[in-house]
Amino acid sequence: MSVKRKGPRATAVRVATYALLITVAIIVLFPFVVAVSTSLKRNTDIFTYPPSLVPRTVTTVTDPDLGLENATVYELPGSDGQFALVESDVPVAEFRRIDDPEVIIALPPDQGVETDRTTVVDGDEETIYLVEVDGSEVEVFRARLTVGGLFQPLDGEGDSESVVELVNLATPERVFGPRFENFSQVVTEKNLGRSLTNTVLVTIAVVVGQIVTSVLGGYAFARIDFRGRDRLFLLYLGSVMIPFVVLIIPLFQLMLQLGWTDNLVALIIPFVFTAYGTFLMRQFFLGIPKEIEEAALIDGASRATTLWKVMVPLARPAIATLATFGFLYAWNSFFWPLVIINSGNPDNGLLTLTLATLGGRSSTDTNLVFAGAVLAMTPPILVFLFAQRYFVENSASSGLK
Amino acid sequence: MVDSISTEPAPVALDAEQPNSGPAQGLRLVVGWHVAGAAASVAMMLLANRSGDEELPATIGVFLRVFAAASFAAHVAAAVGVSQRRRWGRTVSLVVSYLVFVVAAVAAVHQLGGFTAIGSLGEGLSKAVVPFIVVAVGLLWVLVAGQIGASRPAAPGPRQLRRAGWVVTGIGSAWFVVAADPTGMLSAFFERIVQPVTIATLVLALVAFAATRFMWNREIGRIFGTTASVERTLTGLAFLSPNLLGFLFFFAGPVLFSLVVSFYDWKTTGTGRSFIGIDNYVEALSLDFASASAPGAGVEVLKANYQVLMHLDWFGQNWVIGARDVTFWLSLRNIVVFLALAVPLSVLPALGLSSILASQLRGMKIFRAVYFIPSVAGVIGVAIIWGQLFQSTVGWINYLIKRAGDLLPFVDAPDQGQAWLSSNSTALLAMVIVFAWMSFGFNTVLYLAGHQAIPKELYEAAEIDGARAWKIFRRITVPQLRNTTFYVLITTSILALQLFDIVWILSTPQPGGPDNATMTPVIALYNEAFKDNNRGYASALAWVLFAIIFVFTFAQFRRDREGATGGIA
Repeated sequence: MSVKRKGPRATAVRVATYALLITVAIIVLFPFVVAVSTSLKRNTDIFTYPPSLVPRTVTTVTDPDLGLENATVYELPGSDGQFALVESDVPVAEFRRIDDPEVIIALPPDQGVETDRTTVVDGDEETIYLVEVDGSEVEVFRARLTVGGLFQPLDGEGDSESVVELVNLATPERVFGPRFENFSQVVTEKNLGRSLTNTVLVTIAVVVGQIVTSVLGGYAFARIDFRGRDRLFLLYLGSVMIPFVVLIIPLFQLMLQLGWTDNLVALIIPFVFTAYGTFLMRQFFLGIPKEIEEAALIDGASRATTLWKVMVPLARPAIATLATFGFLYAWNSFFWPLVIINSGNPDNGLLTLTLATLGGRSSTDTNLVFAGAVLAMTPPILVFLFAQRYFVENSASSGLK
Repeated sequence: MVDSISTEPAPVALDAEQPNSGPAQGLRLVVGWHVAGAAASVAMMLLANRSGDEELPATIGVFLRVFAAASFAAHVAAAVGVSQRRRWGRTVSLVVSYLVFVVAAVAAVHQLGGFTAIGSLGEGLSKAVVPFIVVAVGLLWVLVAGQIGASRPAAPGPRQLRRAGWVVTGIGSAWFVVAADPTGMLSAFFERIVQPVTIATLVLALVAFAATRFMWNREIGRIFGTTASVERTLTGLAFLSPNLLGFLFFFAGPVLFSLVVSFYDWKTTGTGRSFIGIDNYVEALSLDFASASAPGAGVEVLKANYQVLMHLDWFGQNWVIGARDVTFWLSLRNIVVFLALAVPLSVLPALGLSSILASQLRGMKIFRAVYFIPSVAGVIGVAIIWGQLFQSTVGWINYLIKRAGDLLPFVDAPDQGQAWLSSNSTALLAMVIVFAWMSFGFNTVLYLAGHQAIPKELYEAAEIDGARAWKIFRRITVPQLRNTTFYVLITTSILALQLFDIVWILSTPQPGGPDNATMTPVIALYNEAFKDNNRGYASALAWVLFAIIFVFTFAQFRRDREGATGGIA
């Protein structure tokens, strides 16, 4: 549909169109934004409500004059300005107002004037105390004695008095602060580094292997008119119909016989023979004019030389497509590695496997899991963006999925 | 053997037909090789017979015997064919020698631990990441320099640049070897290579290779009177062979084996591996319908071994449906619901969006790329993200619903955050959302290809007639994209039927949970095969699933055929 009309109506349509497209783009990209932000957060920062996209960190203050070293900065209810936590387990009396028991007033236990009057709160008789709040006396009762924090005002004149407050009422001041250590930590501590190198190794091997077998097979199917060729090709085409679930049990049994279980070779060798790739290369070779090749053959070059020197350079776009598909398949594969790689052995883990274990039902370090997920997702996305031309055109025309 | 061909003095020609004595001598050696091969096959047969079934698994014993018999027959045929200079002699000899070479070479690599050494390579790579990057940069350098050089072949600059790239690659490789420290691997290699079995296999591989090389020669072909057509067939098969052998060994063979296993009671624990006919299929598919007098009647109205699958209240009559494998039937029910929701949700937006993207507005390629990203990002990472988004207390989904509830009066946001993944009623819906989000971009691209095939004249004519956009979409775009829609529906359905990864990561408290609400056929199959080690039954499940998928595949196949034979082009 070509929307190339002019006028206010056309402009409105155009604006609405872009609004729709941008909305969908936001729906697509938002989870990735969440992933990147979570991968840069502290773990405590992830489970706060409302959720936030900004990775935040608490601020600390170091001031020798006040005797502070890396003290966390807080904001306190009912007080302006910033406070530094000096001590975290000082005794605190938690008072509540008689007229409004929801209001908590935390004071040192020795403060508050005890009266001889009592009141009944939730069926319990409580002694009434008098405390001073903002210059006026308030009637309160003592709910409990507990421990709280001692907070030092930061913007006072230096000798302003410290304040006692329940720590859970104090909110640490958070400022923007991404935590890049998540990445190094997940690579070293969670053994994701080994999974990363394993995944790189498997991916390279699968891609190279697929290219070699597919170029040879595709060339044979496209250019050499041998007996039984069409029947064999039909067999290859038919194999595409068979889903991987049918293959998984016998292939596991085969790996068992070969002694390849829990070894990276089981992720490589069975997957370098691909009917898809052969099909893709055949289609491309069929499109190359025969004259180009025949000229070389008449000059006395062998088939192998012709293939290597003439056909392969021409087939670079198809090889790039095949490499992209092979890369995405090998990098993202999960089901087969899950079956064949022993989950207890971190040395043979792949990114997908290790991530699934880390991010599983009992995951604790969510920030590290997300750092790992971002590491795992970046290469395929980059490869897709760079190889888009091959990828988009061919996924549509050859129906690879 | 190889040496003897070249070092022995050429004997006087014995046969008048062959003026050149070299080939005759070589051919005699080839005949000798085939005779020896036949003898070895007999020995192998005897060996397989002597070592009883207790030592070798039954399948391997049978396989060895069949293999030995075939090898014997082939070697004898080759020996006869070559010595009598039959036209087919060369072909048979070549095929036999080549196959023996491949099998022996692979076996030698296997015995040397060459395949499992890939695991050790993983360790080496992890120790030598930096040199590995240097090697990669070096190769990239060479590649780029080569591209520059190709456009200006005369200039000396690119050639030197390329040489420098090779130097970088070389230094990186040396560094890599040092850093990866392959001494352990090498010592294991030398330990194994001196073993007699390994040496014998290696020699066999070398002899078979020499025989293949020798017989491959065109000169030899002329002696046997090989026609051009046979020569072409041999060349074609040679090019195809790496692919074809791997395909047969790792795909076709296992698939047939799976079919066989599905008729066995094949458990990995215990010894019971007995042929039970179609019992696995009966077990998987059996249903029992019983009418119950009272609602909520249970297993007592069903036949023995049946468990309650569901209750039905149909025209006032209570029915109980029972199944022998309730989990599998539940998984089938789930996947039907999943298909009904997920397929439209990932196809309809694709249809609409592709119609917008097909217009030549600015920035369409960017949107196309953005929409495609979820389908390449990797399902595990994606599932992990969505797990956090669906989180009940601090997840974004609940938060956004709550915010929408604050803004819009008609959105009724519950006070308590919805526990998407741990609630029976919403868990499957959550999977639907993730699946649709992942796959609609891919479908959009498929549709875009379909758009390119629509004749532009149709739109021009419609615009001249003054048709509105919606009418054009309904009357031209949708009907013209009928074939694409069919294809997209089929491929998406096939993908959805094999749902596994998303559920594996997201479902809780165990894969398929809660209460089997997200159990899928593939997860049921996985549990049977690798948790309960019930491989025969799991294979039967795989074939049932294949049959279901095949309905879709076959529909597409039929449609393609119709299209090819004069249907809608």
